Amino acid sequence: MTSLVSARNVTKNYGSVKAVDNVSFEIEKGRIMGLIGPNGAGKTTLLKALLGLTDCQGSLSVLGLDPFRQRKELMQNICFIADVAVLPRWIRVNQLLDFLQTIHPRFSRSRVDELLARTKIRPKAKVRELSKGMVTQLHLSIITAIDAKLLVLDEPTIGLDIIFRKEFYANLLNDYFDEERTIIITTHQVEEIENLLSDVMFINDGRIVLDASMEDLPGQFVELMTSGENADTARHLNPIYERDVFGQKVLTFEGVGRDKLSGLGELRTPDLADLFVAKIKGAGA
Amino acid sequence: MDPKWNEDLPIYRQLRDRVVAMMLEGVLNDGDALPSVRNVAAEYRLNPLTVLKGYQELVDEGLVEKKRGRGMFVTEGARKQLLKDERRRFIDKEWPLVVATIKRLRLNVDELLKEIGEPKSSAGSKEELQGD
Repeated sequence: MTSLVSARNVTKNYGSVKAVDNVSFEIEKGRIMGLIGPNGAGKTTLLKALLGLTDCQGSLSVLGLDPFRQRKELMQNICFIADVAVLPRWIRVNQLLDFLQTIHPRFSRSRVDELLARTKIRPKAKVRELSKGMVTQLHLSIITAIDAKLLVLDEPTIGLDIIFRKEFYANLLNDYFDEERTIIITTHQVEEIENLLSDVMFINDGRIVLDASMEDLPGQFVELMTSGENADTARHLNPIYERDVFGQKVLTFEGVGRDKLSGLGELRTPDLADLFVAKIKGAGA
Repeated sequence: MDPKWNEDLPIYRQLRDRVVAMMLEGVLNDGDALPSVRNVAAEYRLNPLTVLKGYQELVDEGLVEKKRGRGMFVTEGARKQLLKDERRRFIDKEWPLVVATIKRLRLNVDELLKEIGEPKSSAGSKEELQGD
């Protein structure tokens, strides 16, 4: 068993609304998984279930534990950055670090001090005096200093300027990630993390509409840019989505060999943003 | 600074090409250390497996060698090998395209040669050829 996360028929209802609808997937260790979906697709509910913050139906195992029932043990080995700031605003940075040192067995004070020394965050500063970017920086430094096996990031860079965002991902790779660690990340800024991912999962209306390794995407999906009669011919091969670009037609195909399309126009692998639109909108059409 | 990745080629392949270009330009010389996978991944915000795959290509081509616990290094004689391979590749793959373009545009070959035939560059290439 190399799976770090294993979900089988996981469902979560809020009243009559199915926030997560019968999803099954595996995540192996050493991977960076991007969880992408429109607002209200069920991403955050799914993350909450993984973190044991909500009960759910079906079977869910994270690091071999049941997240809801064995949450305390699980928390020693997983970290979470939410899209909403969770660090108390009144606390001073050094007070926060002192506190973490007493409650978290795997937290390294020397490591966090070393990481924070590279930033402009002063130990005496209160969280509310820090800019949004600095709070995220502080949060990431704390998490990096915890020797956790799984890191869950929910819209970690939302509202940050481009410099902080770039730095965030650079630090994540430089200081946190290695082949023993696993990251699950959700974001709307798909282009920003596209090359960072080893795997991607699209979720819509509580269901998984794509679960693939980034390496497999070029074999699974192809975009054809074409026009006129060639476009008509290509339409017989059942594209999942079609859009107009500069008067040309761009058709997205799933599971259609490139050899079948090569004579009909220009071929390329769709980027994640285009693929996302094709999968979500194409399914609704 | 962010590199612009070309959509038609896998990134690991472009990474490989970039290192090769650095070798050909003499930025990386025989025996030099390649930047660590982690650093390249962080710098370009790439999945470390992508970087590793690019480096592995170079290892498979014999241009780079892995030294246990120390990282990746440019193999002795890599540059010479590379020049040989790149010349072959140019003549086999690119040159026919150039010739086709010249014909299509009805360019005057003598004039083209006169333009690139500066004494400095021809001396340079002569020296490289002797190196083989």
